[in-house]
Amino acid sequence: MERVTVRVLQGATLAAIGLVWEAASRGGLLDPLFVPPPSAVAAALGPVAALALPRLGETLLKTLAGYAIAVGVGVGLGLVLGAARTPREVVMPYVTALYSLPKILLVPWVVLLLGVRPQAAVLGGALFAVFPILVQVVGGVRDVEPILLTMARAMGTTRWQLYGKVIVPAALPAILASMRVGAVFAFVGVLLTEMFAGIRGMGFLMHQLALAFNAPFLFAATAMISVFSVATVLWLAHWNRRLGAWR
Amino acid sequence: MRLLLWRAAFLGAALAAWEVIARPLNPVLYVAPSSVPGAVLRLLSQPDLPPLAEHLGITLRTIAAAYALAVVVGLGLGFVMGFWPLLAQAYEPIIAGLYAVPSVVWYPSLMLLFGLGPASKVAFGFLLGFFPVVLAVLAGMQQTDRHLVTVARSMGASRWAIYWKVMLPAMAGTLASGLRSGLALSTVGVLAGELLGSRAGVGFLINHVYNLLRTPEYVALAVLVAAVVLVIDVAAGRIEARAKQWSG
Repeated sequence: MERVTVRVLQGATLAAIGLVWEAASRGGLLDPLFVPPPSAVAAALGPVAALALPRLGETLLKTLAGYAIAVGVGVGLGLVLGAARTPREVVMPYVTALYSLPKILLVPWVVLLLGVRPQAAVLGGALFAVFPILVQVVGGVRDVEPILLTMARAMGTTRWQLYGKVIVPAALPAILASMRVGAVFAFVGVLLTEMFAGIRGMGFLMHQLALAFNAPFLFAATAMISVFSVATVLWLAHWNRRLGAWR
Repeated sequence: MRLLLWRAAFLGAALAAWEVIARPLNPVLYVAPSSVPGAVLRLLSQPDLPPLAEHLGITLRTIAAAYALAVVVGLGLGFVMGFWPLLAQAYEPIIAGLYAVPSVVWYPSLMLLFGLGPASKVAFGFLLGFFPVVLAVLAGMQQTDRHLVTVARSMGASRWAIYWKVMLPAMAGTLASGLRSGLALSTVGVLAGELLGSRAGVGFLINHVYNLLRTPEYVALAVLVAAVVLVIDVAAGRIEARAKQWSG
């Protein structure tokens, strides 16, 4: 019964927002130049899809490349640093500081270095994703039960076996969680770099639509990318659970 | 103590290595650490550059406005939803879903709606900061031990007393974490907004020197902003730790 009420409430709220918005925009309460009615946005979905899907594809390819770099560096370095106490304690304050800094400050330098080219967006994505991954992996490896390590060493495991049989399986939930978070950060980094530098892709397309005051197209593109993002996040969460269950 | 020495040595080595690498390379692309202090002085003294203090002030005020809005609306909506669990059940999934959308995708729309002035930056900073605050209120209220509330009620505590004396202490740690993340995200939102197009603020200043290819000045500004952000974050972290201690 309560579930039904909740669903009705959700549906009614969304419908009410849509209707009030539609009415306000048509009735002249909102300037349709800036806030087009939902019906106009919906009508723009088709033409925008033709325009935006190839750009979204390019952005996703760059995200994938940046993400791969970030996972390689972040997980690799995280496994090493997490298991080595002294280097970890020396380096981690700086890593944490970099982690909490707004990475957008580095974007201009990245563009200067690599030019207005896809490579800059790739590096931007990698920069945004690498620190959250690194920090979480280090944390996960650091928190592996010490007794497991002592036992494994006492039984004469080599360094590689220690990683393969003890550290990686034990830290797997943290590694997977970090990779899930990292994917979103890489996407944000690529979009921001595209917007900042005008590199062809979804970010730049949305920036252009905003500067051209093409509100219906912009809102439709925003809706598309939002739905896509939420779907991806849910899908990743689903896989995370399944992989976690393997352990 | 030895650890501190090692840390200082690591930082020194990193800076020295960068200095050696950057020296022979193009100074527009690679800024050696030794050229940063000079750039700071030029930023402060050269009349051909926009005044630094003024633009930093504008950015800080914009962050404050965005964060204040995020806190007021976030706490308000969070507590209203906490009062009526049905509302929380209905709207929390929607809010959490929107939070999962990479925030940058909202910025072009905000730029279109609010223009290139500070309003779009306040809106973006608000939007980013709002989500962690409201979600922290909801999480905090849900994690409060039901028994404590029942016991307090059976002893005749009023609704307000339950809020102030039972729920707030129980959720203070979670709430403080949310408020801290909100501040960090409001800051990022304002800075990102300024860098993506603005007429004032530290982000505008960075773009200005950057477009003049005065890279040492850009690096100096980035380091300065980074330092300000770090100080704010460390202070917020202290407050968060204290709230967690109080909450127990």
